[in-house]
Amino acid sequence: MASGTGKKTGRKKAARKAPARPAGGGGSRARPTGRKAARKASRKPGKRPGRRWTRDHLRLALRILAAVAFVGGVVSGRWLLGLDQTVRERFEGRRFRVPSRVMSAPTILYPGFHAGRFDLEGQLQRRGYRADAGARGSALGEGRYRWASNRVRVHLRAFEHPTRSEPDRDIVMRVADGVVEEMRELPRGREVGAVLLEPEQVGAFYGSSREQRELVVLDDVPQHLVDAILSVEDRRFESHVGIDPLRIAGAMLANLRAGGIAQGGSTLTQQLVKNFFLTPERTLRRKATEAVMALLVEARYDKPAILQAYLNEIYLGRRGSTAVHGVGEASHFLFGKRAEDLTVAESALIAAIIQSPNRLSPHRNPEDATERRNLVLALMHDQGRIDEQTLAAAQVQGLGVARIAVDPGDARYFLDLLRRQLPEVYDGPVLEAEGLRIYSTLDLRLQRAAAQALENGLESLEREYPAIASEDPARRLQGCVLSMRPQTGEILALVGGRDYGLSQFDRCAQARRQTGSVFKPFVYAAALDASAGRPLITLGSFLEDEPLEISTPSGPWRPENFDKKFHGHVPVREAIERSMNVAAARLGQEVGIDRVAAMAKRLGITSDLPLVPSLALGTAELSPLEVARAFATLANGGQRPWPHAFEDVVAPDVGTLDRRELRFERAIDPGTAFLTTELLRGVVERGTGRRVRAMGMEGPIAGKTGTTDDERDLWFVGYTPELVTVVWIGFDQPRSVGISSSRAAIPIWVDFMTEAVGKRVRGVFPRPHEVQAFEIDPRSGALAAASCPRSRREFFVAGTEPRDICTFSGIRRAGDARAGRRRGILDWLSGR
Amino acid sequence: MRVGDLGRLALIAVAAVLGACSTLPGLGGQDPIRISELVEQGDPARRASQRLLVEGLEADIAGAQARAKGRYERAIQIDPTNPYAYLTVARFEVDRRNADQARAFLDQTYALFDAEGGMPPRVEAHFIGLESAVAAIAGDRTAAARGFEQARRLAPGVWGDAYLTAEELL
Repeated sequence: MASGTGKKTGRKKAARKAPARPAGGGGSRARPTGRKAARKASRKPGKRPGRRWTRDHLRLALRILAAVAFVGGVVSGRWLLGLDQTVRERFEGRRFRVPSRVMSAPTILYPGFHAGRFDLEGQLQRRGYRADAGARGSALGEGRYRWASNRVRVHLRAFEHPTRSEPDRDIVMRVADGVVEEMRELPRGREVGAVLLEPEQVGAFYGSSREQRELVVLDDVPQHLVDAILSVEDRRFESHVGIDPLRIAGAMLANLRAGGIAQGGSTLTQQLVKNFFLTPERTLRRKATEAVMALLVEARYDKPAILQAYLNEIYLGRRGSTAVHGVGEASHFLFGKRAEDLTVAESALIAAIIQSPNRLSPHRNPEDATERRNLVLALMHDQGRIDEQTLAAAQVQGLGVARIAVDPGDARYFLDLLRRQLPEVYDGPVLEAEGLRIYSTLDLRLQRAAAQALENGLESLEREYPAIASEDPARRLQGCVLSMRPQTGEILALVGGRDYGLSQFDRCAQARRQTGSVFKPFVYAAALDASAGRPLITLGSFLEDEPLEISTPSGPWRPENFDKKFHGHVPVREAIERSMNVAAARLGQEVGIDRVAAMAKRLGITSDLPLVPSLALGTAELSPLEVARAFATLANGGQRPWPHAFEDVVAPDVGTLDRRELRFERAIDPGTAFLTTELLRGVVERGTGRRVRAMGMEGPIAGKTGTTDDERDLWFVGYTPELVTVVWIGFDQPRSVGISSSRAAIPIWVDFMTEAVGKRVRGVFPRPHEVQAFEIDPRSGALAAASCPRSRREFFVAGTEPRDICTFSGIRRAGDARAGRRRGILDWLSGR
Repeated sequence: MRVGDLGRLALIAVAAVLGACSTLPGLGGQDPIRISELVEQGDPARRASQRLLVEGLEADIAGAQARAKGRYERAIQIDPTNPYAYLTVARFEVDRRNADQARAFLDQTYALFDAEGGMPPRVEAHFIGLESAVAAIAGDRTAAARGFEQARRLAPGVWGDAYLTAEELL
């Protein structure tokens, strides 16, 4: 201790050295003694107990608190900033993913249209039209129809399209025996020639969320829809800042009374936040986040923007495997109309189901839905949003919901083809989010008919021939039905298999299979073609169906007929009507396989064609789609169409992005096309395709059967002046079906065509002026004079008709002297 | 030449004269065809198709070309074998100077009239005139001039200016 050294100490020092006062303070206390004194002695010198400890600790605590507050502030600030950024990105970027929709071709109704076959009422209902029970003569709203004995009145909806928009039209149709006899437009009663029924949705390109949505603008939705939603979901929406303490308190009270969750306390803003950003978990953390984000949304955006986002986001039920979001989509789904056309009762129903769209679905639980709708109406009245009269009128109305129209699953092969045909710029992300409208060529009625015909036909074959049936989906008999309008190339129906869900492989457009005898018309067309000079054959010619051997790199090729026989000297018509292989093979050699291949290409075949002798018998592998195109060229008088699945791609608020113009080009001369068609008409009349007639089809029909080796591929391609339809049947892993194409494919074709156009086919195959009709002797092929014992009418390109002449006395070769031969008066007049 | 041959020739000559008389321009006072005259002719699909052509021509006159084209295409969809539909589209394509398209549609027009027994005389002027217009667009002035002259003779009131308007076809 320093005091022993003799140094002077001041009073302060002395005071510092003095022992600290006891905690009780005051100098009057006696010095501690005993244990207390020992404790004091053991204390470090210079420390003052009590006050000093509190101040330092307090300072430390404050510092820690400040640090924690700072760190907490930084963390929560970052959190808030993150939430704020999320909010801004969603609101200011693309807010909604709107799947692009594919629309069918519109249906054209006109006097003479077969409304019965068309199932007019079913078509209207699928488009959301509803039957009206009003009295005859009373007003009929848009989207409604009314039957009365032999008349149907339909108020057709307007529909938008860049080139083919239609206004709404109130039409009365007189129908007799299923046929529309007359159409008049009200109110004037003016007769109309044709009206369009708006397209149906064929499908849509969804993202993984499979949400269906049709965006609305707040200014366009009726005020009573907004009122209905606010009255039941958030009556103080206009005044709160994102959360509503009163509502929360009210909900807590209600839930306590109910002993469970009876009422929600979320505002519209909170609901929007929950749907937009958050997962559906129910935790405190999520609730807190939801509340904070709601405040941020309200701070950044005005009420109209929030409300509009809500109207487009809210979940309102399911349609099949897709979710219905937004009031725009719900209006179509429930009432078949646009949101701007909703009535008070309809608006109340939409507001009513928000609480639980599946439980309160008006389709499944109409009573519950009605009860809640009326509750909403009552709330609207209580809050002064509607008057007594409106309330009373709305509460007695039925729900009036439209029939659910689920996306037709059997059009998915067609949708895939359409997607492949779209320009590359329309990739997945664009299609799944940009809300494009793609107007397709698909005729849904024909599509359904094609799907039905294929399924019925294949099932029928499996019943009749149990050996070809299989439980293994990969080994089941498969098929394709494809129908196209030859003049325009529009693909009207396409069914690429039995079950898209099991196999997405499109057997119409992606499969390549041997065509067998379906290829033969290309051989005959090449032989009939006069574009390079005189044709090799005419319809009056004869072919040799005699044994043939051709050397090939893989050895000699000896074609055989189906009946293993040779038929000798046969007329061209008979050769193709009976599908004689040897005659066709010989003809192919005479024409030249390269010319045959060239003809096939000109008609529309795009696949590689091996230049081998067997090409004439259909050993090349082709798709039904390109086969359809080639036959469409024949049906269209030699004009080759462009097969397409869509016509317009339209972007909302922008207009048409892409348009497929009607186009075709001259591929072969009309005379060749006509003569080839004439041969194929004979196939249907008398040949391997005669089952078509046997099944009751009438009118101009041409076609060709095709059966490959071991009956692995069964084809029938048939066409009328207005439709080309291809049917293919086979196994995906090629093996024998064991049935002829006549028995297997033709019934499916007839089944489809009967549904499509009826039993009586319309139109004519146009005969070009250069093709003339002559009477010929069927035995010799010579021109038949009037005295010739036999004759039949045959067609020839002018200048190619036979020169030899058949008379009663025999065949007179061209150039024979006429002197000394007896001729009849008719022979004299005809100059023979 | 033998007597029989002479007699035959005489018969043929008389028939030829009679046939030629029926096709001489101006004889019979026939004006070229207007689509609006055809709306009651043919089967239901044909009539509906003709009516759509009329609507299309009206839209064309009003300047709504896209709508007009849509109507014409609908007319073809309803009745793909209606030659008047292709003729109308050919006129539309000539207006847009699409020679290739116009030619294809005229080709189809001819084939379809052929299938129905031949091109009516009242259609001939339009057909020849439009063919000439296609030749003019393609740069073949000689063929165009020749064709326009023929069309003018057949229908001076319409083809006097070497142009067919939508009003003149309606």
